[in-house]
Amino acid sequence: MTRAKPMFLLALAAAMVAGGAIASAASPAETIAARQANFKKMGGAMKALKDELGGGADKAKLLAAARTLAATARLQGGLFPAGTGPSSGVKTDALPAIWAQKPVFDAAAGKLVAEADKLAGIAGSGNTAAVLAQFKVVGGTCAACHRQFRAEE
Amino acid sequence: MSSESETVKVWDPFVRVFHWSLITLFAVAWYSGENHDMDRHRQAGYAIFALVVFRIFWGFAGGRTARFAQFLKGPGAIAQYLKTHDGETPSDGHNPLGGWSVVALLTVVLAITLAGLFAVDVDGIESGPLADWVSFDTGRMASEWHEGVFKAALAVICLHVLAIGYYQILNAQNLIGPMITGKRDRAKGETTPDVKWSPVAALVGIVVVGALTWLVMSGFKLG
Repeated sequence: MTRAKPMFLLALAAAMVAGGAIASAASPAETIAARQANFKKMGGAMKALKDELGGGADKAKLLAAARTLAATARLQGGLFPAGTGPSSGVKTDALPAIWAQKPVFDAAAGKLVAEADKLAGIAGSGNTAAVLAQFKVVGGTCAACHRQFRAEE
Repeated sequence: MSSESETVKVWDPFVRVFHWSLITLFAVAWYSGENHDMDRHRQAGYAIFALVVFRIFWGFAGGRTARFAQFLKGPGAIAQYLKTHDGETPSDGHNPLGGWSVVALLTVVLAITLAGLFAVDVDGIESGPLADWVSFDTGRMASEWHEGVFKAALAVICLHVLAIGYYQILNAQNLIGPMITGKRDRAKGETTPDVKWSPVAALVGIVVVGALTWLVMSGFKLG
């Protein structure tokens, strides 16, 4: 047991280094593709939430979508390393303002995680009015950040 | 038919109200869409849906010049018209070429509206009333069609306006006035009768189209 622990920590450290190496080796195109796929997943989850809130309000479906949203939102903050904006030459709607105002952007990303967590916390409660209210807060958080940091189509 | 009358009624009131309402609502939908005012955009879309569906109904049940059967002519008639039209003899309603322009306009506007009913925005937050019957991906595709056909519609509208300008300027034929008042001057010796329409048909159309629009707005979810 006592010998297993350092081994475990060592393995963990190795995994973290390897993970970091993979992350830093990812090309801007790969990073942009990854975050776009995540945004798409979040869009799908938002639609699923909206559909349920406008209709059946199935608790399990609401909870599943809210958890997908919260888990995916958590990944997004780290997928905007320097060099993955429009100057990378890869097609992206991410505006240079993200990197010019990184603290503001990071705060917005953090707010999304917090609000999505709140939503996931109540999504299975059966209190449709409360879920709907928090869904709108999350939607507002998305929209506010997009207005500031995403190019118009 | 009194030969004294110098004007003839060529457009029934529903054709005229349809025409000018559609322009207004198209502008409202365009403006609200550009400004992300999606509640207003949806309302304008519902009204456009109702107008276009009513106009299609009116194409079978409306006044003489409103009917598809009256103004849709084959290629022979179009060729004949292009060869012989002198810019002075007015057509009874749409001319053989203009009739197809009506079909083109109705088609693009209806296509935009139908795509809009299923459209979902990139964030999954805003959507048309029927979007929860389709997946996110299908809704996104509908949204792309909504925008693509809108651009096609702008081209068709341009053509329509240019054609009116052509008649107005090069042929001294005022087409805009009659679309407002319903009447145009009679040509010498012309015996074209006034357009008549049935209030019963209009009422039936309004009720049916109103009910259908309400169903669409509520996403076909009853109760």
